[in-house]
Amino acid sequence: MKRALVRLEDLVASCALLVMVFLPLSEIVARRFFGRGIPGSGPIVQHLTLWVGFLGAAIAAREGKLLALATGTFIPQGKWRRAADILAAAYGACAAVVLAWGGWQMAMIERETGTEIGAGIHAWVTQLVLPVSFALIAARLVWRVGHATLPEELTAKTPRKWSSKDLAERWLDRALASIGIIAGVLFVRMPSLLQGHLIWPAAVVIVAAAFLGTPLFAILGGTAAFLFIHDGVTPATILIETYSLSVSSTLPAIPLFTLAGFLLAEGHASERLLRVFRAFFGWIPGGTAVVCAVLCSFFTVFSGGSGVTILALGGVLFPALVKDGYRDRFALGLMTASGSLGLLLPPALPLILYAVFAQIPIEDVFIGGILPGILLTTMIAAWGVREGIVSHTKRYPFAAREAFASLWAAKWELSMPALVLVSMFSGLATTVEAAALTALYALVVQAFIHRDLSLTRDLPRAFAECVTIIGGVLIILGVAQGLTSYLVGAQVHSRLLEWAQAHITSRLALLLVLNLFLLAVGWLMEIWAALVVVVPIIVPLAAAYGIHPVHLGIIFIANLELGFLTPLVGLNIFLASYRFKRPVLEVCVAALPMMAILGIGVLIITYVPWLTTGLLTLLGRG
Amino acid sequence: KLATLVPVASVWDKNLKQMGEEWKQATGGRFDVTVYSGGAQGDEPTVLRKMRLDALQAAAFTNVGLGMIDPAFNVFNVPFFFESYDELNYVIEKLTPTLRKRAEAKGFVLLNWGHGGWTQVFTKKPVQTVAEMKQVKLWTSAGNDRMVQWFKANGFDPRAMAMTDITTGLTTGMIDGLPTTPLAASLFQWYRQTPYMLELGLAPIVGAGVITTKAWKPIPDADKKTLLAAAAGVEKRLQAEVPKQDENAVAAMVKAGLTVTKASGPEWRTQLDNLAKTMRGEQVPPDIFDLASKARDQYRKNKKPATSK
Ligand code: NA
Ligand code: NA
Repeated sequence: MKRALVRLEDLVASCALLVMVFLPLSEIVARRFFGRGIPGSGPIVQHLTLWVGFLGAAIAAREGKLLALATGTFIPQGKWRRAADILAAAYGACAAVVLAWGGWQMAMIERETGTEIGAGIHAWVTQLVLPVSFALIAARLVWRVGHATLPEELTAKTPRKWSSKDLAERWLDRALASIGIIAGVLFVRMPSLLQGHLIWPAAVVIVAAAFLGTPLFAILGGTAAFLFIHDGVTPATILIETYSLSVSSTLPAIPLFTLAGFLLAEGHASERLLRVFRAFFGWIPGGTAVVCAVLCSFFTVFSGGSGVTILALGGVLFPALVKDGYRDRFALGLMTASGSLGLLLPPALPLILYAVFAQIPIEDVFIGGILPGILLTTMIAAWGVREGIVSHTKRYPFAAREAFASLWAAKWELSMPALVLVSMFSGLATTVEAAALTALYALVVQAFIHRDLSLTRDLPRAFAECVTIIGGVLIILGVAQGLTSYLVGAQVHSRLLEWAQAHITSRLALLLVLNLFLLAVGWLMEIWAALVVVVPIIVPLAAAYGIHPVHLGIIFIANLELGFLTPLVGLNIFLASYRFKRPVLEVCVAALPMMAILGIGVLIITYVPWLTTGLLTLLGRG
Repeated sequence: KLATLVPVASVWDKNLKQMGEEWKQATGGRFDVTVYSGGAQGDEPTVLRKMRLDALQAAAFTNVGLGMIDPAFNVFNVPFFFESYDELNYVIEKLTPTLRKRAEAKGFVLLNWGHGGWTQVFTKKPVQTVAEMKQVKLWTSAGNDRMVQWFKANGFDPRAMAMTDITTGLTTGMIDGLPTTPLAASLFQWYRQTPYMLELGLAPIVGAGVITTKAWKPIPDADKKTLLAAAAGVEKRLQAEVPKQDENAVAAMVKAGLTVTKASGPEWRTQLDNLAKTMRGEQVPPDIFDLASKARDQYRKNKKPATSK
């Protein structure tokens, strides 16, 4: 019975993802051959992102795969560890209950207003996935109390056998953790409990929970919920932001590219790609590291900078690096940083979006990004060469025969970027449709051409796992958006800028402050939100100091890349922690040297405008 | 807390902030307004949701948000319904009491009207007839499926896409035309790829300042009067400044190579009227549509020959 329910849950989420692939593609076909698309196709795909994301988050909670900043494993087994686990679960459940209630409140208000998303589907019905998922998550955090800190269990194939004494203890733990659920209900019923001088106690509880292994969404969402309730505003505001981010029109590209990348990684595509790049670059000292940097840039360019690269390539590249004699920490750091490479190279999505929000020609931003993008990849590759020399890692002599053989073997995968570019730039498909096309292409290549994935066994599993990853990430982006909204409401951004205008006199100083500011933005915010909120504010400011708008854009995105690597809440840090099953803190430490290198790169890009504008001037577009 | 999509430092933003200051001074600081411009509080559906949960109290909406409050506001979206600002302002004046009542029934008080400009159709190839217009792969906002379906049902070729896809869409030929205001076409440089503008306004962008009834009710009547007066001041200034902004944008674009085309033949008028009628009932409540039609026709009869905008 339980097994069947679990299967059903996976099936619903996987089917939603599958529909996300086929609906945009049917739209292309219908438009081309019948001259009209499918009613409501766009909004339905957007709302499927919401469903896939939050069903996925509930599945992630079931599997104990919700991302956390740390695990309580640093506390030795025993009663303190037990207490820590209970506290972490209780806090997480409390935050999830508050968020579930907020989602319910939003859906009920939406029901009164009767908004339709298209094709006769009511918005409130689609929104119900939010309260349902958060309620499930709350229940699962309580149910799994103590599980989260046992990473060996996450990977174990057979569940641990519990003795009757253990079992009795577990039920007691669950009973204690469920106090969190009661507290959550209490807070939404009597918000006045949280109003008053509670900022410091709340901060202590939240920070403690973060260190004891509470999932990150509960840290960010709980912080936002506390701040809103403290100000006398309903925490449903967070869910409104979560909903609006989840259904934004370009967002479906992210789960679709994630799927494409994930399918590639599940088959042997990355091995084939690795073979090609190794055949061409493997003879260099540190060759495998160079290959990683190049391969990751290549992946990121067409996966739209959604952080898919780490997920898709990590499974192959990380073991390859370790096998070739690179130190574990170096390999982990390189893989984490590699998720950022390529965002400056055309046609990465952030470049397009920046151009739109800054109101400048897209082609200019594309051209401006080329040299800085190559610079960052080269710097990381150079660090790999150094590591190769220091650690005497394996080298692969160049052989023309192998080069051609590997090229031929990987022809399907190598043509993927071309598929993306051609479908987008020939006017065949929008970004989302190109993403769907890429996902389908990956599916066909891996399951039918190479037969790396079996239809009955591997594909359902790959879909379910992919949904879990999407959910784990989307739930964090979603609640982070709520926190951002609180900060915007408190006018943190504008105060910062007013201060800047009052104190900064020179362009160089402005650039430095801008770097720090953007680093913080990249650290705290999700990239699209950063583009929407920050670009319109900084463009006039930069213009006032005579900074070229394309240059500003490249600085902006380069800083966001760096922000993704910033300890604790950088996107790549999570993704790497997720993919390699390492604690977030360990990933942070491993990524520090890469952060330093990319930091230098960002400074060079900032203070040598020629890198950005040189090609533009050369082409007469400056 | 007042939220709006208007860009920071734009004429709308400046006027709203000025209004906020006036409110604060007129009420001796009892009324403090924080203006969040540039979509800092999210898009209009998001802002509206926040208002319904009292996380925000006021907003300056465009037609999108207004249409979500009450479909009666969609009357201003009817394509080719209005010919000029004078005509529009006349109809607005006639409709205001009814629309105010409908908004209040939904929990919103109408503070003032705002103009966002007039959408014109910008195309890659010159368009002069309705038939030619139907050939254009026309960008439509991905957020509004009803409008997309309406375009399709009437033989147009809409391409629902995100705003961020417009430039790429134009470059790749996925779309070859878009309705937008001259100011936006000029700011976003879309006109470089769509060098023809059909000078037959598609529809005005009618916005409005609204405040939740919940926030409005407790305000003393004397204060309400001063607040409304300040809001009316904004309305007056925008009425004068916005059309000028669009005119300047057109002039600047013409200098940069834009060609303004005129609609040919009288069949436009009859076809457009038929087109407009299809919105009745489906998107705009019939009584509101009729009320607007009556007011408009009355205006046209009195003012013959119609002054062009
Ligand atoms: Na955010
Ligand atoms: Na981040």
